[in-house]
Amino acid sequence: MLINFKLNGDAVRVDVAGHVTLLELLREEFELLGAKEGCGYGECGSCTVLVDGQAVNSCLMLAAGVNGKEVETIEGLGGPQGELDPLQQAFLQHGAVQCGFCTPGMIMSARALLKENPYPTEEEIRRAWRVTCAAVPAMPKLSRPLRPSAIFRGRKSK
Amino acid sequence: MNEFKTGGVAVPVIEKDEAKVDHKIVGKPIPIVDGKEKVTGQAQFVNDIKLPGMLIAKILRSPYPHARVINIDTTLAENLPGVKAVITRDDTRGEKYIAMGPPLSDRYPLVMEKAKYIGDEIAAVAAVNESIAEEALRLIKVNYEVLPAVYEPEEAVKEDAPVIHEDRDSNIAMRIARSYGDPDSAFQAADYVFSDTYVTQVVSHAILEPKGTVAHYFNGKVTIWTSTQAPYFVRKEVAHILGMPEGDVRVKEIFSAGAFGARSKVCDDEAICALLSRKALRPVKLVLTREEEFKTTRVRHPYHIDIRTGVSREGRLLAREVKMVVDNGAYNYLGPAVLGYSTFVAASHYKVENIKIDASLVYTNKQAGTAFRGFGSPQVTFAIESQMDDIADQLGFDRLAFRLLNAHESGFVTPAGWKITSCGMKECLQKAYDGVKDLPLDSGSKVKKRGIGLASSIHISGVKLFKEGDYSGAIVRVAGDGTVTVFTGAADVGTGSKTTLVQVAAEALGVSVQKVSITTMDTDQTPQDIGSWASRIMFVGGNAVLRAAKLAREQIIKTAGAALNVDPEDLDIDQGVVFARSNRAKAMPIGDAVKLCNTRIGDWVMGSYHYDTPAEMINRQSGVANISPTYSYGAHGALVEVDEETGMVEVLRIVAAHDVGKAINPMIVEGQVLGALAQGIGYALTEQMLYKDGKLLNGNFLDYKILTTADMPQMEVSIVETMDEEGPFGAKGIGEPGLIPTAAAIANAIKDATGVRFKEIPILPEHIVEALSPEDI
Repeated sequence: MLINFKLNGDAVRVDVAGHVTLLELLREEFELLGAKEGCGYGECGSCTVLVDGQAVNSCLMLAAGVNGKEVETIEGLGGPQGELDPLQQAFLQHGAVQCGFCTPGMIMSARALLKENPYPTEEEIRRAWRVTCAAVPAMPKLSRPLRPSAIFRGRKSK
Repeated sequence: MNEFKTGGVAVPVIEKDEAKVDHKIVGKPIPIVDGKEKVTGQAQFVNDIKLPGMLIAKILRSPYPHARVINIDTTLAENLPGVKAVITRDDTRGEKYIAMGPPLSDRYPLVMEKAKYIGDEIAAVAAVNESIAEEALRLIKVNYEVLPAVYEPEEAVKEDAPVIHEDRDSNIAMRIARSYGDPDSAFQAADYVFSDTYVTQVVSHAILEPKGTVAHYFNGKVTIWTSTQAPYFVRKEVAHILGMPEGDVRVKEIFSAGAFGARSKVCDDEAICALLSRKALRPVKLVLTREEEFKTTRVRHPYHIDIRTGVSREGRLLAREVKMVVDNGAYNYLGPAVLGYSTFVAASHYKVENIKIDASLVYTNKQAGTAFRGFGSPQVTFAIESQMDDIADQLGFDRLAFRLLNAHESGFVTPAGWKITSCGMKECLQKAYDGVKDLPLDSGSKVKKRGIGLASSIHISGVKLFKEGDYSGAIVRVAGDGTVTVFTGAADVGTGSKTTLVQVAAEALGVSVQKVSITTMDTDQTPQDIGSWASRIMFVGGNAVLRAAKLAREQIIKTAGAALNVDPEDLDIDQGVVFARSNRAKAMPIGDAVKLCNTRIGDWVMGSYHYDTPAEMINRQSGVANISPTYSYGAHGALVEVDEETGMVEVLRIVAAHDVGKAINPMIVEGQVLGALAQGIGYALTEQMLYKDGKLLNGNFLDYKILTTADMPQMEVSIVETMDEEGPFGAKGIGEPGLIPTAAAIANAIKDATGVRFKEIPILPEHIVEALSPEDI
């Protein structure tokens, strides 16, 4: 099946089989390896990407489902010269990255949350990650970076 | 403190005497040096590797917990188009993995005669893609003779139980029975004796990245990329299994998502992948599915512990007797070492001079146990620290004072021979207690009861448990442009060890962190290191890097002294500039000094050091040896709220105080402790692998409950610095200790809240409801 969608801002066109997941398409066809398969059934969140701004488990979504939509992956973040996105910077500075396996998924989940709710409370941050993180040892620290990220966006959080 | 809330974490509290600290880089919470790769998705893990012509491998596993393999027919699979290699026992040399060495070795890369648990590796396939590999597995015909199986140690030790390893007399894989001091007399002399039984469960490491390997056999040599804590052990084992010289096996580090002990020796995939690659003459990738990760990789050993403690009227611990029965699962892996370490902890935690130990490791037809953060200590510590509270309560002692009375101090030598040098045990206990003692215990609800609990731990920083010793090598190279490269054999499995090693080198050489790069380990190119386990890299690897850096520094200082006409004693290096302390005008960039050192052999100065710790090799006979160069202490204070109607336990706050010697990077220390707390809380309250007839029932993230962000309490990490004399800049290890006392602290808090002692973990809501319900309901 031929599908058209926007991938990290670029219009792309690709022929996909009906059973191929979005994660497989991203990793195998486009060689975007940031999204990881931690479980393959939507429980760990390591494969999180944005589809039309919403965080999705790309291992559960069929690739055909993104036809006509916008897909954003960790590789789409940051500036043209490789500058880090403020969210990426915040994760680093606050020690919210350990092994880094699920970090791309974490950052994309955070990005989706902030799009919807630029000034989340700590409770909202924790709830938003409920299904998107599993064994990450540093996860309690992950609520920290989101507060400053609101500051990076030019306004002060409460 | 009048008010607190749940959720989030506090900034770590570091209390130290600022006056004595004169470090510029050590002690600073710098972001991890390989963080940019990680936040951009550029960090490559095993499953991200793609090589030209690479095949995908799958493993055929035994569906039976105990079965003789009569024959294996691979003809159909081999003839399937796209299949490039099929291997069975006939493709191996019939050699066991070395593992802990004969006579403890008990496992083959592929099943030889009998499958011993559900999931045992029977055959493997490499094909051009995953679906063909899966189809090929279905085409392999295996004839099994199903045998009676045993699942619990108490069944397995019976006379008529089927013997799992037929070359052994029984299912007892190891037994350790020994005494220290004179326990019988000490028990007689004790004013009080307490006897209790504690039970701990099987838990999974639940590593988010499934285990995987890429192997590429070419021109008589094999190159391996694998998620491992122990590249040198993997090299040795693969060479052994394939019958090759070790030097022809090259293991290369790749980004790896945690390991927590599960990957601290060879696993199952490395040699299988290498065998397939040798047969197919193509690169092969083998990555486990999540289901395989749960059902077939190693677990934490479950323990049944009987503990008897003799106490004097004044509250001194006089004697301790510990009987442990440990379910080993089907194979040894590190079981014997875990069991051994448990006995040392039993003979070392708190001051007890008279000890009696009887510990058995028993084979069953289940997936096997191995190292898991704490290495047999969390189980024993749960028993010791739960009982400590009960003793204090029954004798009317203050729980903290009772612990402080029996706590270690510098200079103490435990019955197991552990020589205590730097010791923050009392300070940790006090800080953990102070962190929770004034929190409000009134929940505002009649059914929600609050309580606080305290527990402590002792742990190694490196260990001489294996004949290989306990060493790390490092080479530090300073270039003429002032940049520094650290060559280390220590793989960073996500702990941040690369960063702390860079900090050590930068501090020692007087250059900024930005000037220092660190290599990825590669058995062909980096110095040898025994592995990233036993909380050892900061201490052992750090010492190697520090000493190598100092050797490079000495050459630079000497040369700069001659060039500047200054006594080298007067020289220092800061921000990459060598200068005279007495006259700052006399200075030169470090790179210029390097060029002067070595004009004939290039612009490099190198220091190389192989650091082996001054610890003593374990003595399995006597059980007495100072197996670690130093010991880390920790104590956790927990506040919990128990809903007596539903049995739900909410951990509201944990204060974790840890003696790390010196925090080289407080942010990394904090990360290590927080991660360990998450696993420790799960161990106490939610995590449990459930089996029926040897089959795992809950091998997925929905049914096996690890904690997520939403479940975490308010946590505070309090760093205690004791400046260890042997540690690099005073540092000790902190990889494991954060998990060890957590379950006991929570169990103690639950008792404080409800008055009921739970002696089995996990403490589930149904256990609480049942214990608190009146009998007639």
